[in-house]
Amino acid sequence: MSIKSLVAGLAGAMVLVAMLPAQAVEITHDLGTTDVPDAPQRIVVLEYSFVDTLAAVGVSPVGIADDDKRDSIIPAYTAIIGDDWTSVGTRKSPSLEIIASLQPDLIIADTSRHEAVYEALSEIAPTISFDSLTGTYEVALEAAKTIAHAVGKDAEMEARLAEHTTKMEAYKAEVGDVSDWSAQFIIDNGEGIFLHSPVSYNGSLLAWFGFKSNMPSPDGHTYEEAIVNTSLEQLSEINPQIILRGKYTDPGLTDSWVGQPLYDNIEAVKNQHVYDVIAHEWSRLRGVLASEVSAANLVDIVKQLKQ
Amino acid sequence: MTGLASPRTRATNRAVILIVALLALVICVSLWGLSVGAVAIPVDVIVNTLFNLDGEQQTYIIMKSRLPRMVLALLAGGALALSGAIIQAVIRNPLASPNVIGINSGAALFALGMVLLFPAIPQVWMPLAACLGGLCAAGFVMLVAHYRSLSAVHLALIGVAVGFVFESGVDYLLITSNDSESSAPMIWLTGSLWGRTWSHVGISWIPMIALSGVALILSYRLDLIALGEATATGLGLNVPRQRLIMLFVATMLASVAVAVVGVMGFIGLMAPHIARRLVGGSHRLMLPVSMLVGMLLVVLADGIGRAIAPPIEISAGILAALIGAPFFIYIMLTTASEQEP
Amino acid sequence: MPLAFRFTLLAAAVLFAALLSLTIGQRSDVGITNVLQLLFVNDGSLARSAVVDLRLPRMLVAGLVGINLALAGLALQAVTRNPLASESVLGINQGAALGVALGLVIPGLIGVNLDVMAIIGAVLAGVVTFSIAGGLGGRLDSMRLILAGVTVGAFSFAFVRFTFTLEDNLSRLVLSWTSADISSARFDQALPLVFWAAGGFLVSIFMAHSFNILALGDGASQGLGVDPRRARFIGAMLAAVLTGASVAAAGPVMFVGLVMPHLCRLWFGPNHRVLVPAVALGGAGLVLTADVVSKLVRFPYETPLGIICALIGAPYFLYATLRAKNMA
Repeated sequence: MSIKSLVAGLAGAMVLVAMLPAQAVEITHDLGTTDVPDAPQRIVVLEYSFVDTLAAVGVSPVGIADDDKRDSIIPAYTAIIGDDWTSVGTRKSPSLEIIASLQPDLIIADTSRHEAVYEALSEIAPTISFDSLTGTYEVALEAAKTIAHAVGKDAEMEARLAEHTTKMEAYKAEVGDVSDWSAQFIIDNGEGIFLHSPVSYNGSLLAWFGFKSNMPSPDGHTYEEAIVNTSLEQLSEINPQIILRGKYTDPGLTDSWVGQPLYDNIEAVKNQHVYDVIAHEWSRLRGVLASEVSAANLVDIVKQLKQ
Repeated sequence: MTGLASPRTRATNRAVILIVALLALVICVSLWGLSVGAVAIPVDVIVNTLFNLDGEQQTYIIMKSRLPRMVLALLAGGALALSGAIIQAVIRNPLASPNVIGINSGAALFALGMVLLFPAIPQVWMPLAACLGGLCAAGFVMLVAHYRSLSAVHLALIGVAVGFVFESGVDYLLITSNDSESSAPMIWLTGSLWGRTWSHVGISWIPMIALSGVALILSYRLDLIALGEATATGLGLNVPRQRLIMLFVATMLASVAVAVVGVMGFIGLMAPHIARRLVGGSHRLMLPVSMLVGMLLVVLADGIGRAIAPPIEISAGILAALIGAPFFIYIMLTTASEQEP
Repeated sequence: MPLAFRFTLLAAAVLFAALLSLTIGQRSDVGITNVLQLLFVNDGSLARSAVVDLRLPRMLVAGLVGINLALAGLALQAVTRNPLASESVLGINQGAALGVALGLVIPGLIGVNLDVMAIIGAVLAGVVTFSIAGGLGGRLDSMRLILAGVTVGAFSFAFVRFTFTLEDNLSRLVLSWTSADISSARFDQALPLVFWAAGGFLVSIFMAHSFNILALGDGASQGLGVDPRRARFIGAMLAAVLTGASVAAAGPVMFVGLVMPHLCRLWFGPNHRVLVPAVALGGAGLVLTADVVSKLVRFPYETPLGIICALIGAPYFLYATLRAKNMA
């Protein structure tokens, strides 16, 4: 037997091993327990935070519900996952046909968005579902660990999370003691403003850095408590010392308030501590990489603050 | 055999030809619907998949997505059109529809309320909640009608008002929950076949077919009611009672359909009008033609909605309304001066 | 009860509602004891700013929208000789909402002023409703008119809701616009409304006699020297302009045009010379009350005005239909 044929035989054996029905990993998620094939290769994700998780462990999804806007996947992600994904439509109603045509072996869905079509998704491929929309920073990290386990990247995630902790602690050290400052993240869409409360993802991230919040802390954990539509009058009552503002339109509603005593006398406005951040990155992206981007923003902001 | 058909049989022959032609059209459009969507699939692959032949197959997209959607579109389109035709005959007003006795609004409020107020209930129960809501709204209208023996016009007016009450509740829920992120109820509110599977067909086909059968059998009574209350009573018909029975059948039909495909408000309004234009007002012919027109509208709208702007899908309810609206407005404008049917 | 006393009572209720609307809000430093002082004395405090810069324009917008919509409803009911006709029942408000939704969604229309889109939508919806129902010239079948309006309204709202299935931010924009949120109303929104309300009031007073005559039927009107077609045309235009102006300022506020004329007819009788001032006052009072409720119902969060008006108006509509003995 020549060496050539031996190599060929070995290669054949390896292919056979690879084609054996892969061992399944049992994953418990929001909508039940699902058997996920070992190390799935073709993954479709239906919410941005799952892109974040896959990027953290260096896995490229084949399909993303990117709202049909490719640039909604920011460079921090594309640097790792590349540019080869197929858009499967909006996060609200992704196209099931396109998902199926990608022949995925794992689908990661958002519980509040996709609960009603969970059955249809499961017919296409094993589907696991997590609550991305209303979870805090800590919840997002937990979900990231579970997803990493599902895609067989436990070790990678552990390493990445260690790196993440180091990075975040460094950022925190740079930010320093901010327990005297109250900070508030708001979204301005031109027609209204939306406050992200302490139980929201951004609220919990600010709390992790040690910022105070002047918003009353709700006990429950629903979407309407996490993101609160409010008026100028109520904002003036909350009266934060720092405002982080994400604008979806320019000029926004807050710009039209400039000159009104009630707005001008908010602590943050009076002392020029209103900082614009990128609305898309802050309010829609959640997870390991996204929180590092936000943290880097915060470090810059605190530098300006202390000048 | 005289060789000369009477005018009546001539009309019937014409209607039979029309029904056969419509049926053929529905079948063609349904097959076309199997071939269009966000993913282009060649005809030979479709044939392979359907008949399990050798060669490339697309099992999920054809067998588990497009086929159940097609079946549901046919069932729901037929049921909604039939329900609308009955309600128009009972209320004796061409602008009546399942909307008019509050079915859609009731169903919408219950479905949305369940998802937003009781998030612990799994969303697979949404169709049941919707069906209950539709029955509640229509039930209230019918109870009032029963106890106060109202005229048909007054009954429709109360139905409209009940619809507004439920609708204001829907708006309150939409605003206060601030939760435009929950996809399923929003998409359901516009009437869509997105994400429908065989299980939706499984829970709805028996009631829809059974109720349609009952409605078609009872259709001769609609012709009597159409003669006017006095005449019908003179012919020995207990008009208020027959009206309630027919309304009940129509309500059940619409509620089941709305439960599985969502608020598709305009099929029940438009399809009967188009049918009446085609075969006239005799319900024996008009009801089956209405059903065919309704099926055609929904299947066509669903196919176009999938194919027009992938990966985004346009709700079938919206597209069906868009396709039907020009016909409807044309018919309304040309019959504006005529007597109500 | 003498007429003057009834008017005094109504005016007092409106003033009270206006005062409450100024008093109630999220800031705790404004109360019923100091609100008048804050309104008239500039003490440079933030509480004064909240009352004068935020709540006063908002109160004015609410009151004026109420006047406009109630007068529009009265005119529509006189023109159609149908006590249930009104902007919401005839689909006009919903048409305005559709105009706005289209303006936000269709790329070619982005940039067109939303107020303009709202008015175009309102007028188109009104025209379609009346055409389906048989046109302004002929005899309007009242049931057909209402069902036509409901159909046009439902059609418009189906499209508005369709935008909720699109992008998140877009759906939020449409939602806040179509629910008539006036929490960030400004003086420059209130000023044109003053003009429209005053004009609408004068035209309504001027047309009151014709409206009274219209109720007697076309034959009788001509005998009494009123051209019914001309009166109907002016009435319909008045209703369209007043509705368009309010929708542009506040968004579609439902059912005011139905509830107020109906209530006032019960209390003041069918004479339009008395009804016009009563309906104007009552409309202002109703929307001001709704504004107060909108701040209280989920305190400290606000609920948009349009939602509150619908929650008040829709059950009233049901009550009115149940109460009506013989329709059409």
